[in-house]
Amino acid sequence: MSPTDHDTEALQDEVTDLHEHARDTRRPGEAGFTILLLLASLFLLWSAYDISGFEALSAPGTLPMVTTLIMVITGGLIMLRTIKLPPVSGETFGQNILPMALVIMAVLLVCYGLLLKPLGFLPTSMLFLTISIKLLWRQGWVKTLGVSFLVLVIIYVVFRIIFTVLMPSGIFPEAEMLQFFRNLIGGGA
Amino acid sequence: MDALSAFFTVFTDLKLLSLVALGTFAGVYIGAIPGLSVTMAVSILISFTFSWDVHPAIALMIGIFMGGVYGGSRTAILLNIPGAPSAIATAMDGYPMAQRGEAGTAIGITTVMSFFGGFIGIIVLALAAPSVSQFALTFQPRDYMLLAILGILLVGSLSGESLVKGIFSGAFGILIGMVGMDPLTFTGRFTYDLPLMQSGISFIAVMIGMFGVSEALAQLHHLDTPAIKQKITRIVPSFGTIKKYLPLSLQTSSIGVIIGALPGTGGDIAALMAYDHAKRVTRKPSRPFGKGAIEGLVAPETANNAAVGGAFIPMMTLGIPGDAVTAIMIGALFIHGLNPGPMLMVEQPDMFWFIVGSLVVANFFMLIFGLTGIKLFTKVVEMPRAVLIPMIMLLSIVGAYATNNSITDVYWMLAFGVLGYFMRTYGYPLGPVILGVILSRLLDDNWRRAIISEREDLGRFFHGIVTSPLSLILFLAVIFIFFSQTPLWTRLKARLLPARNEEAR
Repeated sequence: MSPTDHDTEALQDEVTDLHEHARDTRRPGEAGFTILLLLASLFLLWSAYDISGFEALSAPGTLPMVTTLIMVITGGLIMLRTIKLPPVSGETFGQNILPMALVIMAVLLVCYGLLLKPLGFLPTSMLFLTISIKLLWRQGWVKTLGVSFLVLVIIYVVFRIIFTVLMPSGIFPEAEMLQFFRNLIGGGA
Repeated sequence: MDALSAFFTVFTDLKLLSLVALGTFAGVYIGAIPGLSVTMAVSILISFTFSWDVHPAIALMIGIFMGGVYGGSRTAILLNIPGAPSAIATAMDGYPMAQRGEAGTAIGITTVMSFFGGFIGIIVLALAAPSVSQFALTFQPRDYMLLAILGILLVGSLSGESLVKGIFSGAFGILIGMVGMDPLTFTGRFTYDLPLMQSGISFIAVMIGMFGVSEALAQLHHLDTPAIKQKITRIVPSFGTIKKYLPLSLQTSSIGVIIGALPGTGGDIAALMAYDHAKRVTRKPSRPFGKGAIEGLVAPETANNAAVGGAFIPMMTLGIPGDAVTAIMIGALFIHGLNPGPMLMVEQPDMFWFIVGSLVVANFFMLIFGLTGIKLFTKVVEMPRAVLIPMIMLLSIVGAYATNNSITDVYWMLAFGVLGYFMRTYGYPLGPVILGVILSRLLDDNWRRAIISEREDLGRFFHGIVTSPLSLILFLAVIFIFFSQTPLWTRLKARLLPARNEEAR
């Protein structure tokens, strides 16, 4: 099946996101972002100077100073060019740059990071998958829970069992559960 | 004669053959899973193969390495998420091809070209290892430094929107790579006296954040877009297609072997340089670069797999890793009582030939696994995005955590994910950030070595560059690449080469 015209158009937007050519308009929030980058670059230049100043050409701070200076110069050039550009018509920051779905997902990711240690990998991942899939997919609870569980099982088997990646166990009695299955397999043998 | 029998060991021993096959199969999928790096997989493998004999352990690791370098291209094509840094360039044309419903063609070409590149790399490793390693030995620190600058300047032609944004991204990447304790003086750089900053920022966390999370966040804009069903009618490319791209693949394989053989550089840099080379030499690409040009797939894929063979050259002959994976493999050889370096090929040539034999077998298995099971793999893109996005995010979190078992890496990954989202939204290329992180150590170490050897005298430093043919060539290449990306060069070219421009049009 080939993509419909609507799909093609949407997908071309995605390609443009990554491989676009010089734009002649400014996207919402772009000027603020360039100013932030320039300010951060200036702060980093100051931090780089703080490492070893102009002590020697081989000093640990020399290359950081050169790098941050390049960031300040290029950041300044980008800011000047961006500010001069006219704003793009038909785009708003809330709809095209930071829509609610994106904010919610970002918040969920931060919550995941915060809860991973105290709650553990399995409960946190199940919570994250269930909430995010429910919000994004808008399907019934049974389907959402089923898909979330299936995804979690696949990831758990690949990472935890096959690759033996250690993840925080938290409140979930993961070791006991694994031992139970080992005993079950061992007992059956 | 013994050495030759070592070459055929892996062909005749069923256990070793199975381990290479298993490693290659796993490598293809590990390389393809965003958030799982070959480096991580091989380092985990060391922990449970150190009690094995050296041959099975090395056979498994080589399979993972070869399969993983190739596997990264699959998600690059299907999801625009390079499974490995060496597949960054592949995404640029592979993803647009998948969007046109040509994922099968793209995967078929990358598989055959990866096999071809891998084979060239192995042949060079087997035949020319001593001479290539001797050439790498003649490199001075200033040459490595110039090479790093050359790599970073390539960002201009890879950045798309603007050279200035590309340079900003590259410099930002170098900065990230320098965070932590300076290895020479143990001075903190950008640590702000925070213990968590002293060990630096995990490159894996940066890569997963920039490519995994930011891509997943960007995909949220297209939730309502129906998943594209990939129409895979032809996977194995025709002989005519292979023949057509053979000259380019030979050129880019050479780039791959040479770059792979240079210590500190690897398949990622080789792929980017090959892509840039293809852009420069291809006058009439099948489609414009960045829009699904087959040349844009051929170049990086031959180069990154050719770089595998190349990476083994300094590892086996000098004891210097060609890239991160060979660095881990040096550790594995040490664990097994071997001493990689100039004496290894003299004292234990059988080990060298065993590795060459394993690489050959792994390359064949890569071709087999690459051309089969693609239909199953492409089902991934048919999954609803509403399920795929949380899954990618979860995989990214697990991948970041698994690198060092550290929650700090997860926070870094999230931060870089959000930053990466804004950068890509406003047209800042992300590839150069990763390139900067990879090259920062090479640049920093060699700049300091070079300037110390010239007694901190910039005049002597530049005199050294202009009086050494190798340094001069690299220096002129730096100047040319910078100049060729400026509007002045475009105007000059238009004035000097009107006939060629007309023809290209």
